[in-house]
Amino acid sequence: MRVLLIEDDRETAGHIVHALENQGHNVEQAHDGVEGLARARAGEHSALIVDRMLPGLDGLSLVKQLRAEGRQTPVLFLTTMSGLDDRVAGLEGGADDYLVKPFAFSELLARVNAITRRRSEAGEPTRLRAADLEMDLIRRTASRGGRNIELQPQEFRLLEYLLRNAGRVVTRTMLLENVWDLHFDPRTNIVETHLSRLRSKVDRGFGAELIHTVRGSGYVLRAD
Amino acid sequence: MRIRFLHTEAFRLSAIYAGIFALSVLVLGSVVFVMTDRAFRDQVVEFSRADIAAMRNGYAAQGIAEAQEVLEQIMSAPGASDFFLLQKDGKRVAGNLPPMAPRSGIVSLPGTGPDHDILGAGDFLAPGLYVYAGSDLQRVHAAEREILQTLAWLFALAMLLAIGGGTLVSRSFLQRSDAMARACRAIMDGDLKARIPVRGAHDELDRLAGTINEMLDRIAALMENVRQVTNDIAHDLRTPVSHLRQRLERAREESHEAKDYAEALTAAIEKTDEILQLFASLLRIAQIEGGARRADFTQIALGPLVTHVRDVFGAVAEAGGHHLELKLKTEVSIRGDRALIIQLLSNLIENAILHTPEGTRITLLLSRTEDRAVITVNDDGPGVPREEHAKLFQRLYRREASRSRPGYGLGLALVAAIAELHNADIALRDDGAPGLGITLSFPVTLPSPQAAD
Repeated sequence: MRVLLIEDDRETAGHIVHALENQGHNVEQAHDGVEGLARARAGEHSALIVDRMLPGLDGLSLVKQLRAEGRQTPVLFLTTMSGLDDRVAGLEGGADDYLVKPFAFSELLARVNAITRRRSEAGEPTRLRAADLEMDLIRRTASRGGRNIELQPQEFRLLEYLLRNAGRVVTRTMLLENVWDLHFDPRTNIVETHLSRLRSKVDRGFGAELIHTVRGSGYVLRAD
Repeated sequence: MRIRFLHTEAFRLSAIYAGIFALSVLVLGSVVFVMTDRAFRDQVVEFSRADIAAMRNGYAAQGIAEAQEVLEQIMSAPGASDFFLLQKDGKRVAGNLPPMAPRSGIVSLPGTGPDHDILGAGDFLAPGLYVYAGSDLQRVHAAEREILQTLAWLFALAMLLAIGGGTLVSRSFLQRSDAMARACRAIMDGDLKARIPVRGAHDELDRLAGTINEMLDRIAALMENVRQVTNDIAHDLRTPVSHLRQRLERAREESHEAKDYAEALTAAIEKTDEILQLFASLLRIAQIEGGARRADFTQIALGPLVTHVRDVFGAVAEAGGHHLELKLKTEVSIRGDRALIIQLLSNLIENAILHTPEGTRITLLLSRTEDRAVITVNDDGPGVPREEHAKLFQRLYRREASRSRPGYGLGLALVAAIAELHNADIALRDDGAPGLGITLSFPVTLPSPQAAD
């Protein structure tokens, strides 16, 4: 995957490049907004990683400019933790996801994977499937191996999110934000509790486990 | 000062008023003058016609001799016209004017001098028999000069008043704006408590001073907030950062195998995350207290929101042996920041879960009064002694009992900041029943047509 990283802090950029290249991605770099915009226009990228604060042209304007030109390359927006309003501004400006600095690299990788997937999906599916697990998003039912699974609304949303990202690692933070609408780090183990409940319904008694814990990163729903 | 007040708005205004005033006095004066002049002249002509009529009557009764008789009588009587002429075929029969070319109607004559022109009327008593009566206009001119003079004085007086008043007004305006400037300068020089004097006149300058003072209070509060956060960060990041350093140092001294290093690094990363989290929380509180987010407020239906929060935390509460119960007594909307309200409720519920023993019942209640939406988080756990209630919402306050647990005492400070941002009041239950009860009452926004969009 070819990723364009637009980040002015060279040390941060170096770490990000290293992490992405370790995952086999091909990374192109720009260190200010103007250069970043030019490179984004010139090349074909699978994803852009754009810092909020950039010399020359700030990240938000850069993304808005690209979107105004009709370029749909997925964008991950990097914000500082003091920028409380940047999340909304970034998403409204056309970014696909945002990440607050400082972040764990596993988080960054998971998010880049997620946004590139989102764009490649054509239309909204009405049914999701992995191995013998099936979800009907219209009738709001789930079944595994033909056996119906009763899910609470929260459990349904969690399973739906895991299935949509089947085969890709989703982090705790991604789950908190996308499944429960929590944009902060809770002190109780919400993620673990909900996942263990879901596992007991989806995985217990069906032989092969579908929901796996990825140590230090998050979770993945994968049919082995 | 003498030059400066010429540049004040008050002076400009009073100059404009003085100009308008002068113009209206001028127009009014001219109208008065023209009307008076006409009235004087009409009266003179009226007298002349009356005299001529008397002579005509005399002539009609007994001929030219009687007309001459009447003329002479009138001439010697007081209050009549000054000049007369009775001429027959171009020759004077009687009167004190030389013969002239006879014209009937109103006739002006040059008189004896520039100020002594004559106005009167002439008529024919019979063909060839012409009579004229007229008066010296000198008295009229004198009266008119008097009027003009009075008007001029009035004008001068009006101008004097306007200019004098304007100067006084602008001087007082200057004094007050100078006082404002002095107060601002004092603040710039470091006296942050200085405020602009308010006269108590409730005029626009007082309102301006009041608004500026409110702004200064707000800025002072924000600065105090920044100072507080800086202090908090300085003090409270020291401890975890030195812990981190000690751990790393120990790992360097004591680790022998790769496994030891890996463990030490994992622990160090966790500790770093904790520090960053604390840092982020402090900044977040400061930012919310700054109030910058009100612009993003939207209409929030609280029923679905509290239901969502219950659904998210219900499982966690149950897993810890607590009961989380939801009571929806009403549906009500407020204006606010959805993410922050969720964080506020999450904080209260997490507190209840983390600080009470198993078996505790936690109730999340939504109700409303006339103009407030009320959310209550109640538990029947051990509660908090009343004397500690006030301290609970302070930043970094931690109760003795909870010091052994992880956390930095920011949860309720954040709750307080979010509540403040939404103009919500916080109250702690004080009815002696066991447990802690925290009530938040938000101002209700009536669903207006715009809000429904």
